[in-house]
Amino acid sequence: MTAQSRIQIACGKGGVGKTTLALALGMRHAAAGRKVVVVTSHPLPELAVSVSLEGLAQRSPTAARNLFVVHLDPRALLAEVVEANFPVPILARAVLQSDIYKNLVEVAPGLKEFYFLARLQLLAERKSKQNLPDYEILLWDAPATGHFLSTLRAARDFEAYLTGPLAGAGADMKRFFSNAENVAVLPITTLEEMAMEETLDLCRSMRSEFNLRASSVLLNLVSPLAGASPERAEEARRAAESSSDPALHFAVERGVTERERAESIRKSLDAPVIPVPRTRRGSSDVELLERIGSFLEGVWG
Amino acid sequence: MRLTVFLGTGGVGKTSVAAATALKEAMSGRKCLVLTIDPARRLQTALRLEGGGPERVPLVTSSGGELWAEMLDVRATLTEAVQLHTKPDLAERILKHPIFESIANSLGGMQELMAIERIDQLMRRGFDNIVVDTAPSRHALEFLEKPEYFAQLAGSHWVKLVGRTYKFVEKTGMLSLGRKTVDVYARVEEILGANLVRQVLDFYSLFVGNAEGYSQRAEHTLKLLRDPAISDFRVVTTPQKALRDAQYFSRELQQRRFTLGAYYVNRVWETAPLPERTEGIARELLDWYGDIRESHLQAIASLQAFTASPVHLLPELVQDVGGLETLQPLAARLP
Repeated sequence: MTAQSRIQIACGKGGVGKTTLALALGMRHAAAGRKVVVVTSHPLPELAVSVSLEGLAQRSPTAARNLFVVHLDPRALLAEVVEANFPVPILARAVLQSDIYKNLVEVAPGLKEFYFLARLQLLAERKSKQNLPDYEILLWDAPATGHFLSTLRAARDFEAYLTGPLAGAGADMKRFFSNAENVAVLPITTLEEMAMEETLDLCRSMRSEFNLRASSVLLNLVSPLAGASPERAEEARRAAESSSDPALHFAVERGVTERERAESIRKSLDAPVIPVPRTRRGSSDVELLERIGSFLEGVWG
Repeated sequence: MRLTVFLGTGGVGKTSVAAATALKEAMSGRKCLVLTIDPARRLQTALRLEGGGPERVPLVTSSGGELWAEMLDVRATLTEAVQLHTKPDLAERILKHPIFESIANSLGGMQELMAIERIDQLMRRGFDNIVVDTAPSRHALEFLEKPEYFAQLAGSHWVKLVGRTYKFVEKTGMLSLGRKTVDVYARVEEILGANLVRQVLDFYSLFVGNAEGYSQRAEHTLKLLRDPAISDFRVVTTPQKALRDAQYFSRELQQRRFTLGAYYVNRVWETAPLPERTEGIARELLDWYGDIRESHLQAIASLQAFTASPVHLLPELVQDVGGLETLQPLAARLP
């Protein structure tokens, strides 16, 4: 039930294009009139987003009106919690600047992660005065596999440390995030061996530890052959056989391998796979995102 | 002894380039170790490693060089450090503490610290060159910052004071501490949860001796990493990310006074399509290939315009980097 899921998680190995695809998907939802917020959480915001949304308002006013992009820094979130707890700013500052606070936040297992997920839940559930959801869809551009899983695990294990009213909030959050009606997992992978292995491992962990399944798998940066019909693939193979062009050999060899790999992913995860061909950067990033978005039709189909 | 540190964002092929660099060193007669901090354990795949301490990679060279590889094992390194530097009864209390458990398991915290500790441990084992493959994420440079955090924590007057006295403080109603101290401490506890704060403080009060020794060793290692005669940092990137990564890493390295040795642009589509006449799907594929190759060339040109450091280009290989044999072509292309 991807379309109804309030949180869609774009997850996968580092460098597979999570941010770009999350933005492309967000733009597509937004252009179709759904209010969307894309949440990035990389610790270094200057490296988090490599594409820009400049010119979106001219190109697609509907998308621009409905698309929101926020960067949530777990450290800054915690600081907000502190500030909210102190009506007197000077006291809040004293706490935030104290060594004990700074160091505890760095080493306390699960603390930042817990508040981060709590904020995601809040954003996804927030409603206006008319009781309409602020955002129909929240797309979380998650950190790379290792840090993503450790975020989920740390937040889950953090419950053990919670006392008082926070303990209730912890249990509520756990329920929210392990409910497939609230959360859809959208693994993103390239068809390179290591990225695939990591994706399969990730999906296994998501299923066994959090009871979450992949709703569809996005295969990024693939060759045009990956999604072509068997006849076209056969034609390409024959063309390569009768040509001495190394570039054509490269492209065909790659495409043929990718087709096999796409099929094996589809089988092992029992989820639809959606190939997104590698394309060169066009005249603008927004145009690139639109082009990528045109391949993502099936994600909520 | 030389230390070579590879940096880069996730998915650029950093582990392969690091392993190929070590392989090339070994082939030219040196005893070289590649250490990966990667939680995805990609080096394991690349070198078919089984895990555990440093292992010699079976390699026949006429030069007498040796290739070794190790995946950083956070728990093992931390345990070794505690056992080496603590009295046995205290060591046992530390190793059984619930916070030790979560720290040894946490990716975000201890990994970077233990990388520095591990470099120190490994430097005593007679390698000519240690090649470090840093964490795959955008946290790459945190590995150089955490030691300072940790040293601060261990040395923090507050932690020592509060950690050792919190039980006493509870009994006496916090009268023995300065009023300001108590205020801030109580507030921190209120926000972060008393249970958590006390567990962490209790752990660090046991751990403080270790942490002090650790921060001395880390300081020494950082000094070596800042010495251009011993260490250099190399940035691995891909064409699409080249300029952005270069701008970021060069600035960060400069701020921390580390030497930027070179850029490696990996996965470049190098071959130009032949001007042969083709049609149908072959033509489409060649147009697609040519288009992307063209964008690679442009990206490389902008990187070269940006930097005066050496820029090395590495080709995209059709075959994934797997065993040692697949690292050879990459090693052969290294400068």
